[in-house]
Amino acid sequence: MQTLQLLISGVAQGMIYALVAFGYNITFATSKTLNFSLGNFLMLGGVVGFVLYMTWGWPFFGALAAVVLVGSVGGAVLLKVAVEPSLKQRSAYGWILATLAVGIVLRNAAEVFWSTDDFKFRSPLGDSPWRFFGERQADGSMSGGLGVYPQEVLIILVSLAIVAAVELFKRRTVFGKAVVAVSEDKDTASLMGINQRFVILFSFMLSTSIACVGGVLVAPVTLVSATMGTVLGVKAYSASIIGGLESGFGAVVGGLFLGVSESLTARFVSTGYKDVPGFVVLVLLLLFKPSGLFGKAAVRKV
Amino acid sequence: MSALVPSGKQRASLVGRLLPLLLVLPLLLPRVVDNSYYVGMLSRIVVYAMLVASLDLVVGYIGDVSIGHAGLFAIGAYTVAVLTASPALNTDAYSTIQHWPQLPFLVALVPAVAFAAFAGFLLGFPALRSSGPYLAVITIVYGLIIYTFINEQEGLTNGTKGITLTPLHLGGLKLSGINYLYVVYPMLLLVLFIVHNVTHSFWGRAFEAIKYSAVAAECCGISRSYFKVSAFVLSAALAGLAGGFFAQLDSYVAPNTFAYSFSVEFLIALIFGGVRSVAGNVVGAALVVVLPDLFSGFADYRLMVYGSVLLVMLYFVPEGVVGLVRRGWARLRPHDNAAEHARLERASAGLDVLASPHATSAEAALKLEGLEMKFGGLVAVRGLDLEVPRGAVRGLIGPNGSGKSTTVNVLTGLYTPTHGRQYSFGRDLAPLKTYQRARAGIARTFQNLQLFADLTVLENVMVGLHPSFRASLFEVAFRFPRARREEAEARVRAYALLRFVGLEQAAFDKARNLAYGQARHLEIARALALSPKLLLLDEPAAGLTSGEIQTINGLIVRIKATGVSILLIEHHMDMVMAICDDVSVLDFGKKIAEGTPRRIQEDPVVVEAYLGTHKTSSVVA
Repeated sequence: MQTLQLLISGVAQGMIYALVAFGYNITFATSKTLNFSLGNFLMLGGVVGFVLYMTWGWPFFGALAAVVLVGSVGGAVLLKVAVEPSLKQRSAYGWILATLAVGIVLRNAAEVFWSTDDFKFRSPLGDSPWRFFGERQADGSMSGGLGVYPQEVLIILVSLAIVAAVELFKRRTVFGKAVVAVSEDKDTASLMGINQRFVILFSFMLSTSIACVGGVLVAPVTLVSATMGTVLGVKAYSASIIGGLESGFGAVVGGLFLGVSESLTARFVSTGYKDVPGFVVLVLLLLFKPSGLFGKAAVRKV
Repeated sequence: MSALVPSGKQRASLVGRLLPLLLVLPLLLPRVVDNSYYVGMLSRIVVYAMLVASLDLVVGYIGDVSIGHAGLFAIGAYTVAVLTASPALNTDAYSTIQHWPQLPFLVALVPAVAFAAFAGFLLGFPALRSSGPYLAVITIVYGLIIYTFINEQEGLTNGTKGITLTPLHLGGLKLSGINYLYVVYPMLLLVLFIVHNVTHSFWGRAFEAIKYSAVAAECCGISRSYFKVSAFVLSAALAGLAGGFFAQLDSYVAPNTFAYSFSVEFLIALIFGGVRSVAGNVVGAALVVVLPDLFSGFADYRLMVYGSVLLVMLYFVPEGVVGLVRRGWARLRPHDNAAEHARLERASAGLDVLASPHATSAEAALKLEGLEMKFGGLVAVRGLDLEVPRGAVRGLIGPNGSGKSTTVNVLTGLYTPTHGRQYSFGRDLAPLKTYQRARAGIARTFQNLQLFADLTVLENVMVGLHPSFRASLFEVAFRFPRARREEAEARVRAYALLRFVGLEQAAFDKARNLAYGQARHLEIARALALSPKLLLLDEPAAGLTSGEIQTINGLIVRIKATGVSILLIEHHMDMVMAICDDVSVLDFGKKIAEGTPRRIQEDPVVVEAYLGTHKTSSVVA
């Protein structure tokens, strides 16, 4: 029972990684850059959601809509300020530093204009666990058995829905196919009349909005703070690499693997070492599959 | 070139000679400024500069982004801390410090460097397999694993509490505080001296060659695995050394220093300062130490200002501070290469660049027997028998997709054939890797140009001379006479090769700035630098104008005259007709005809392969 409970928490955590990993994939596909501030966009989503929902008392969906808006505007700004200049200059590392810099600014801004403390974010579904297979107490409440936090269920469902929606969008709509075309071959896509600049802009906005939604989703499970995104961003990056940067399905597999290995290690080995097994597997995996589980192997052409 | 040397130049060279004296200045600082805060900052810059220089080896020269150098740095710092700390200062019950020997600081640096180097060695293997964002994540994870370890292994590292060290002293002389500068500063100069020497030698060129085109580097006789792993080991050793010195900076180490953000900060420092420059490394280190201090007036906003400054600088100065200074300097006084041209011209006069290969054996320069190359279900080459007699030029022609380039790739060891045997001068090539084949005297050019874009034209040829260097890494690092002599000789030889192909005027231009036709000539010069016995030319005239084709034609004739055996892949029939002794024709991976150029040109099977079944013309082109 307890292991099952751990698995569910692990899967929920893993879906958050998967969601942000998915965000990395989207911009990598269209622009071949990684947005290293994505973890901090997750934090931005968490903080904005907290302020609107908890502090100002907005309805949950209103707050969520505002978070999506903030995320997409943020993505557009990031692209214009940090990524486009270095793409134009064809600098090999510019975008790495620029996106890192945006991350630093975001985090510090949250600390200055909001708070340096940790806050509890109330789940819209309530914070007491749903109990299954437990014993009913005299007062009607349940105890023992399998306890599942409603927020964990929400995380899993919403994340899956987002991933599925984006994948469907890519496969079934004309604009989605344009995104795929740009990620396959920019120049040919341009020749086919696709506005690649717009596709890239769209992919950045989509990517950061997804990360921001991830922040609202994860906040009730962890806590809201200005630093909540730093480690999470790195883990999600690892997840997308495990799965292979080009693969949406891979992001989910990578995220789930990291989330579950983390929660099992924390329980059965030690909390301090919870990240290590996942990381070691990542290094070993890449030794045998240099571009991740489902990534495309680069073909050497001379 | 005027005979009259301007006096301004003399003065400039005198200043240049005296410039190194300025390097002593920082040592005076503790005497002049009696402010332990500022002197301490300088010591910190010095230690960090070593780390930035180590990062530069991997990021700037090999081209792999590492966001895990904090881990390697931590290994050095903790090795020194554990092996030198006194139990009296670390009295927690769980601490195992008392069980470790208490070594002198300098002795403890040895295992610090060794452990870090070993960690770098381990990191080198994933680096051989993955690249770009994949490798970057490996470095991050590598750093995080080390970070977790030092946090959690409380017995060894005291966990979050950290290890307190006894401040350094030599007899009665205090070497901590402001005096620590006397320890670290000379060390930094030594480290930068070594890094500069190594990176400005055939080692550094090998690193950069691998960065721009690993395939071309291998075809120049450079072992990618050896040099890439070496770069990681060297870089890690330096990071470990820097870590060792860091341990005594505050005489205290704690895990929090070595977090992920530390690696990020140093990547920023490196690119801020400017990659591939020891001056840039120092500037970058200074920036990460000084900038936050400058913004301390902004208190809480400090990091926001820092991040914004970063963004603005990236926008305006993408190549870093040193790049900006260089650009400004070049505008102020354009670099005058005339003197160097004249010197190389004189030194290389009469140099015989293509010594005719001695008659080592009577065997054919190249012999293929039943060569077959399959990619999945596709058979690119089937049952190919081919011979290039010694000193002869054999043409290999065929329509696009007929397996010509695949054959060359098999011959240079880039592909392992499914079947068949390959011999060069009677030697079985099968067990030889790409770089070993290059060293065995098989050189090639590439149909799709594979030049080392940011190296100069001269340096591109010098990469081809790589196998001729004998100096050890140690000799290179300390500029021993042999290393200097070899470098000077290689420059002259490379220049002579450039003159042979007619590119000497462009010797100091970047390869990326060459015109297309010139780039094709450079490919040939680089291949000739290997002193090949067998030269594989993969469509050397592709995309050239008819005038340029004439020049290449003449060049190949001159190469042939020195006795080099050549396999020429080409589409231009007039060229094939003029140069080749014999021609083989491929179609769909099969040899369909062979003979003298004239016979081939009239062979109906060949005409059909090129033009289809209607036999309309006798011209094949």
